[in-house]
Amino acid sequence: MKRTPLYEAHVAAGATMVDFGGWEMPIEYPTGIISEHLYDRRYYGIFDVSHMGRLWIEGPQRLAFLQRVLTSNAAALIPGRAQYCIIPDEHGFAVDDAYLYMFDDRGYLLVVNAANTDKDLQHLSGYLAEYDCTLTNITDQYSSIAVQGPQSAAILEALSGAVGLAEMKKNDLGVLTIQSRTVRFSRTGYTGDPIGFELFIHSDQVRWLWDQLIGQGARPTGLGARDTLRLEAGLPLYGHEMGLDQDGAGMPVFAVPLARFAVSFAPEKGDFVGKAALLAQKTDGTAKKIFSIALRDRGVIRAGMPVYQGDRPIGYVTSGTMVPYYCFDSQGQILDTTGKRSIGLAYLDADAQGDVHVAVRGKRLSAALVGRHMIQNVPPYGKAVIL
Amino acid sequence: MNVPAELYYSKTHEWIRMEADAAIIGITDFAQDALGDVVFVDLPAIGDTVTAGEAFGDVESVKAVSELICPVSGMICDVNQALEDAPELLNEDPYGAWIIKVSPVEDQEELLSAQAYAAFCAEEE
Repeated sequence: MKRTPLYEAHVAAGATMVDFGGWEMPIEYPTGIISEHLYDRRYYGIFDVSHMGRLWIEGPQRLAFLQRVLTSNAAALIPGRAQYCIIPDEHGFAVDDAYLYMFDDRGYLLVVNAANTDKDLQHLSGYLAEYDCTLTNITDQYSSIAVQGPQSAAILEALSGAVGLAEMKKNDLGVLTIQSRTVRFSRTGYTGDPIGFELFIHSDQVRWLWDQLIGQGARPTGLGARDTLRLEAGLPLYGHEMGLDQDGAGMPVFAVPLARFAVSFAPEKGDFVGKAALLAQKTDGTAKKIFSIALRDRGVIRAGMPVYQGDRPIGYVTSGTMVPYYCFDSQGQILDTTGKRSIGLAYLDADAQGDVHVAVRGKRLSAALVGRHMIQNVPPYGKAVIL
Repeated sequence: MNVPAELYYSKTHEWIRMEADAAIIGITDFAQDALGDVVFVDLPAIGDTVTAGEAFGDVESVKAVSELICPVSGMICDVNQALEDAPELLNEDPYGAWIIKVSPVEDQEELLSAQAYAAFCAEEE
């Protein structure tokens, strides 16, 4: 199994290490997933995301190449901006979902899911011959730390002397100088926190950066809480809400509500991989869609559980667990009171709505399809929307 | 890892306290540590009969579901209802937070002593 340069730091912190996409990664630290989730929502969390695939694209025809192989309009990117995108196949299914960063005009950084890095490289290389550009896997040379949560801007400002980080727009990029070392960062994240950043640094300096963040009071957060945080935010995870469904059939890209922000049919983008199929998905709709689902009854919904509307089977839960949340008073002030709720995402007939049932090991439990699990756009706190 | 000497144990990581009138059953420190944060316990009802070696409920953490396996056969005479609202008690105090009481006990699996159970866990790790 592969290890990130922060492996020793995780083990020293008492993390439980697991195999994640071929990487030996921390699933939780001794305080546990619930505590890590809550700490992130109230203060901040730091996450080792060095296992994610980092691909560097440069050369004269790099933009034309990206326009062909990604769903987004890469021409709309200017230096200092990033965008969410899908790597589509010819049939309008997702090979992977990814983030494209343009730090400056030297090239593009494409960050992909760890478990898909090799597959993505092979897929993308198939189109490379037609373009005068190169695609290089720089996963090992660079590392990444996500810093998320209401106080994430303050911690980075304290370390770097920078100001105004919380006011940056989502997908803005920048450079911090910390003790005369260069740290690139993006105003992005996978937690749903209204304020959050991802840092990029040379692998030989990442342990130093991790220790600087710990020194400021940041608490390491494992992949377990990363999953509960993204689930609460309704963010898709490849292999659950994208890729192949339970029966091994491809899930259309437009089944994921977030896809409409990732797929561009702008004229300047021209033709791209899977365009016709994706346009048909957008125009005609998809037979099934990803919904947010919340359990009313006691219990826990889990990936794979069947969902019913009345007596009709309408699909299944793609991700589900129990997540904790903070309560807020009527003025929006965070309270010390916390609760727990079982929520998930589900791949259901597109016309599903309202009250449904989930089959939980022989029992039919009452659940509801909801618009969202949390409010993400009002800083500084992400607030749970309780059924 | 805490393994109280006065208790008996199953290989599925339940502990059993044999009292004169009942067997009291819970999950071990090893089990709660492996599960992580316990968020839900699916408890049986008082009056249900249980069979040694068979499931009597589920315990769920954020990560996974595990069956609770009963080390004895008999009738459930009491259930720790506090776990419905505070399943985290299984993490905080695994040997204080009992799950069920069985009485009368009609049969039992072969149980491990504390020493044998500690050795068994060391092998599993």
